[in-house]
Formats: sequence, structure tokens, C-alpha cells
Amino acid sequence: MSHFGTRLSIDEALIIEKQGRYFLLNQKMKELISQDFFYAGTYLGKVRHEVFFPSFNLLAMIAERKEANKIMVDDKTEWLFIVGRDVFKRGILKVNGSGKKNAYTLVVNKHSECLGFGRILHNLDDVKDQGKVTVKNVSDIGDFLRRERKLRD
Amino acid sequence: MSSKQFFVDRYSKLGWNYKPVTLKQAIRINISNAEEVDVVRRLESRGIKLEQISFIPHAYWIPESPFSIGATTEYLLGYYSIQEAAAQIPATLFTDSEGKMVLDACAAPGGKTVQLADLMHNTGVIIALDVEKRRLTPLANHLERCHVKNTIAYHMDARHASQLKIKFDRILLDVPCSGNFATDTEWFQRRTIEDVKRNAELQKQILSEAVRILSEDGEIVYSTCSLEPEENELNINWATKHLNLQTEPIDCYGDTARTEILGEHLSTSIANCRRIWPGQTQGFFVCKLKKAG
Repeated sequence: MSHFGTRLSIDEALIIEKQGRYFLLNQKMKELISQDFFYAGTYLGKVRHEVFFPSFNLLAMIAERKEANKIMVDDKTEWLFIVGRDVFKRGILKVNGSGKKNAYTLVVNKHSECLGFGRILHNLDDVKDQGKVTVKNVSDIGDFLRRERKLRD
Repeated sequence: MSSKQFFVDRYSKLGWNYKPVTLKQAIRINISNAEEVDVVRRLESRGIKLEQISFIPHAYWIPESPFSIGATTEYLLGYYSIQEAAAQIPATLFTDSEGKMVLDACAAPGGKTVQLADLMHNTGVIIALDVEKRRLTPLANHLERCHVKNTIAYHMDARHASQLKIKFDRILLDVPCSGNFATDTEWFQRRTIEDVKRNAELQKQILSEAVRILSEDGEIVYSTCSLEPEENELNINWATKHLNLQTEPIDCYGDTARTEILGEHLSTSIANCRRIWPGQTQGFFVCKLKKAG
């Protein structure tokens, strides 16, 4: 999680892996679980093509860290972000941690709730054009709705 | 085939005159994830109207909304679940599930599982089973969206739950059933009495397995969204006679179940069960069971 400018301490003994998906259990669950489980505890994320994709639960845990890279966005940007859009400079209310190009940053709303994360396209301090796309959406919580639609179709 | 008139006549004999219903949408606040008053305020600020449901804690009718109630940030953050009102009743009937070993035997798509986890404040362990593999993904999505931490989901037939080799303190049997016309506009065209009887047999098997894995002082909450007595009062009557179970008094929305059903005299303890005719909610049946002392 150093990509987000912070480190998270998780007891590795309580992490279980299945088919590239990682889950965090508690001690009691660890004692009970059998390997043919489908889902368990807190889903942390998955490895695909040797890259780890964090889950929204893990992102929320990272967002609680004071030093984590975060941008706080306004209401309109919040809505656009969760429908999959990128972030314009004008939509950013506050920057925490690194605002450097290519850094990964969490996207939070005005309630500091984690909406997902993105990759910074330009050094945020240097961008003057408010209409410029500055953070590319990598993952947003609107994904839960897309999953529901996919299952329906 | 059994006609609409066949079923309507049955309902009349059971004391209810058929009328079509339009269900109101309902939500339940996941209080482990957010303060109820904050969620209500935020939804109202978006123009969504909420009315508290009197018979379920943390639950609200949504009589009016300018957009889909499933498309808000608050929903996506797991602050509430969209859950039909009667379906919210079963999980509330357990005596203090916190810290307990709980089985949700027919869990998908996960509305009651999430509710159980919320009532347990994510303590203890929930084992959630479903026999249909394709329904496990929506179950997992629901658990993830609502930040459930204490649940393990398996692809497993509830009739084989003893393979888990676990004794459970609480077992939720929200069993596969025939459903009802309030949630399925084509119910009368699709359903026959043979479907009802087939489901009733399956439910007996699930009940039988549940008793094998229930701890001595454990509780079973049995529920269906069927209006048919074979799946409800008659099955519970059978369970009290053949599975050494007894019904427990419950205090919840709904009518006292009848102990005379279509000419058959049932145990008086069936009156501890609750039957809900469609109206404010869909049709529903619920009861609590323990091993007979």
C-alpha cells in the first residue's frame, strides 16, 4: 500500500488466499474455515497479471491513515467519479499527501468517505486550467452497480 | 395446473380475501456502518422521502424518490440495504446473536445475511450457504458492499450442512419456497399446487438437517414468503411432531397463525407463528423454534 503514501499493518496469519483473491479473517473464522469457501471475512483484493487490485474495503482502511494520498472532491465530482468519470482540477477541494504525476491517490468526498482511487496525470500544484482532467479514475464504488447490472444481463 | 381461483379460494378459507397489492419500497440502515440519523438526513437532502416502518427497527419506507434508491453514494458505501419490509423480520427474532455461531442456510442474495451481521455488530461468525453457485456472486457483492467482516460463504446445499461439522447457536432458515403474487405478477400463471407440495418436501428436509446441527439451547428462525399452509403451518406442525422441536412465542408484525388449516387440526403451539397477508408488505410466514425441553 506504499503506492498510496502509507503503510498498513495487517496480521498476515489471518489472511487467506483463494484463486488470487485475498481475505482477512478473525481468529475464530481462521479455525473454522475450509478451503472450499467462496467468500470470507473482509475481502482485501485480488492479484491479476501480477498486479494487486485493492478492494474498496482495503481502500477504506487506507483512507483512515492521516498520511495517505487523498484528494477530496466536491459533490458534483463525487457523482461523476462514481459513474466512472475522471476528475477535473476544478472538482478538487483539498489534496493530502502526494499530488505528483503518476502517484496513486484515494478519492474521498467531503465526508472523507472513500469513493475509490485514481492515478494523478499531472502534478496537481502545476495545473492551472480548472477544466483539465487531472486524476484518472482507476476504480470507483459505482462498480457495485455495474456488477449488479452485469449479473442481470 | 392449479388456477388463480383455486388459490384465491384457499386464501378465503384461511381467512383472507384476495386483493391485488402494490408493494412499497423499503430500506434498512446498516447501523454498523453509519449513524441512522445521518443517513436519513443525507437521503432527505437528496429529495428522497422516508417514512419510518413502525414494526422494524432502523427500517424505512421510500414512498417517493427522484431517482433509484440503489444509486446513491450512501447505498454504494453500504450504509443501507434495499430490503422488503417483511423480509426484515426473521433476523430480528433471534435472542441476542452477538458473539454467536450462526448459520444462514439459504443465504443468497444476502439481504438477511447482511442484516444478521449488522445485528451481531460483526461479532461471532456467520456461515452463509447457498445451493446455487450463480447466486454466490451477488451474495459476495452484498457482503463486500456492506463491509461485513464475520461471514464465510460456501456453495453448499442446506440439506448437507452437517458436512460443516459445526454446531450452531442460531440457524436462519429462510427456505426456498413458492413465493407469492405480491412479488411475482405472474405467480398465478406459473405456480401449481404440485410446486407447493414439492417445496414443502424440500423444506422438511432442510428443517431435518438444521435440527442435526443445532446446539442444545440453539434457536431456529424459519421463514417463507409463501402463503401456502403446506410450506408454513403444516410444515411447522410436522416439525414439532417429528423433529422434537417446539415453537417459541414471538412478538412481531403479522397475524397469529391459525391452528385449524383446511380442515386439519394442528397443535395449539402453531399459534406462536406469524402469518402476514399481502398488503403493506409481501406475503410472509415466520416462526421461532427450539429443541423441545
